[in-house]
Amino acid sequence: MSLVRKYGLSVLAILVSAVVFLIPFAFIIMMAFKDRTQAQLLDFSWPQGFHLWTNIVEVVTTRNWMLLTAFINSSILTVASVTLLVIFAAMVGFVLQRRKTRFNGLIEFFILAGLMIPPAVVPTIWLLQGIGLFGKLHGLILVEVAYGLPFSILLYRAFIATIPRELDEAAIIDGARPFDVFFRVILPLLWPVTVTNIVVQSVAIFNDFTNPLYYLPGNANATVQLTLYNFQSQFNTSYNLLFTNIALITIPPLVVFLFFNRQIVAGMTAGAVKG
Amino acid sequence: MAGLELKSLHKSYGNVEVIKGVDLTVEHGEFVVFVGPSGCGKSTLLRMIAGLEDITGGELWIGEVLCNGVEPRDRGIAMVFQNYALYPHMTVYDNVGFGLKLAKTPKDVRDAKIREAARILQMEHLLERKPSQLSGGQRQRVAIGRAIVRKPEVFLFDEPLSNLDAALRVETRMEIAKLHHDLGATMIYVTHDQVEAMTLADKIVVLNGGVVQQVGAPIELYQRPANLFVAGFIGSPKMNFVSVTVEAVSAGRVAVAGKDMASIAIPARTDGLKPGDTVTLGIRPHDLSEESGGAIVGRVALVERLGNETIISMQLPSEASWLVVLDGDHNLSIGQNLALSFEPDRAVIFDADGTARHPDLD
Repeated sequence: MSLVRKYGLSVLAILVSAVVFLIPFAFIIMMAFKDRTQAQLLDFSWPQGFHLWTNIVEVVTTRNWMLLTAFINSSILTVASVTLLVIFAAMVGFVLQRRKTRFNGLIEFFILAGLMIPPAVVPTIWLLQGIGLFGKLHGLILVEVAYGLPFSILLYRAFIATIPRELDEAAIIDGARPFDVFFRVILPLLWPVTVTNIVVQSVAIFNDFTNPLYYLPGNANATVQLTLYNFQSQFNTSYNLLFTNIALITIPPLVVFLFFNRQIVAGMTAGAVKG
Repeated sequence: MAGLELKSLHKSYGNVEVIKGVDLTVEHGEFVVFVGPSGCGKSTLLRMIAGLEDITGGELWIGEVLCNGVEPRDRGIAMVFQNYALYPHMTVYDNVGFGLKLAKTPKDVRDAKIREAARILQMEHLLERKPSQLSGGQRQRVAIGRAIVRKPEVFLFDEPLSNLDAALRVETRMEIAKLHHDLGATMIYVTHDQVEAMTLADKIVVLNGGVVQQVGAPIELYQRPANLFVAGFIGSPKMNFVSVTVEAVSAGRVAVAGKDMASIAIPARTDGLKPGDTVTLGIRPHDLSEESGGAIVGRVALVERLGNETIISMQLPSEASWLVVLDGDHNLSIGQNLALSFEPDRAVIFDADGTARHPDLD
């Protein structure tokens, strides 16, 4: 009785989270093992036979190895966007926190506006076409950086407030120029938030479906999320291949997450209290 | 190595003026201490010398160079901060060598300089550690080491000891004094602790409200304070003051009396004083002694018996509160009357505007 009272709620919470988080995952994995006929049933049944390898080969080679191109595109997109995001967001946060001017209020308004106002697709396409970046990977990189910047800046700014200004001043007296202060003193100290930013933004950008769909048309430009369309159409969907594809493209974010997992929480709460 | 010259230095934030025209000459190799209460502008003045704050008006000369617009790195200065300001992600070795690295000093020269600084400060065994693995005193030592390797013309210290515990403070204070002796560099030191000021300084600069109150050797400030503020600020416990009326003026002496005090003739500058003027008399707690029939009688309000001395808080008839320090142990009860006397030449007469009237030195 007392055991139930003591652990009952915890066990219940664990069970609920298991249902919510693990069952969809198990469903994906099991579907990836099925053949086309069984997958078509869309039920939660044990796979008959081992079809994972044939599914994988089929998914990877479809449409002239499109998934490989997509992986390369997505990797370039993610790495480039996140790198720019980290550097620019940290710079903006640093200057905004350290240098008080009468423009600060306006700048903060723009940052919040960037978070709140939904991006307008058609004008953005029009703009990208105008400057010749529509349908180009670097165009999409800029779009992702623009969309991700406000959130990253907010994360950084709170943390920079906890870095004593004396550190900047000590560096200045030591002979550091502004770029030295930022890259040699401030940026290394921002590592916990940088990790958080890397994980949050790289998962978001890697898993982004709509922005590549709007701004990066064309088979050669496909990103991983767009390859999902290879296996579904209005009247006919190969569920076994679709889920194999999902399983494959879930791996990179999962690796990133497992790799940085322990440092994320530190970054999220860093700056909350003086450490 | 070089001296410093501050000419009518001003600093304003918007309409608020924090430094109101400071003139000061610091000789080469001198140890100068800025003291003053919180918010008096002493740290601001130091930061202006360092180049961390812009100079609103006036001139700052370091050596032969007018430094108003010169970048901090080109001023030939090094600074030690109150909270150490060590770079947490670097080892002690890298912390000390950071300035040299930025100056693109060759690696072997850099290494030699870092090890030399570490040897001077006896912290060779700490070089591979991170600041978080050091104690407060060790961190301060690293911060000083970072200053030494730059071989600066002028060392600037911004309350470097206030984060240390009492025992370590004494120890580090001695180390800084020794460092000054060994390096022979010009040092400017900001503190609110007058023990640090008295023990370290060749020259103390007392600041209040952005204005220099007095500049002088420590003992001179103690014995001949220029005004009420300096008199009250230097010396612990602080000087007692009482308002008195001039009764008679004779050659080199002023006879004063008041509600709290019988008539007594004090040596002072007498020009412009006439009987009936109200002046302030100041006397240090240590210069009072118990004597029946003394000039001052008060009621004992609190007694602190320390064994070697007794600190008495006393209420005068005018409700003024005085502190008295008597040598040795005195068993006094609260509420009893205590008669005190003092040597007239230990007392100081202050004008109504606070200026001291010290008798002229021969």
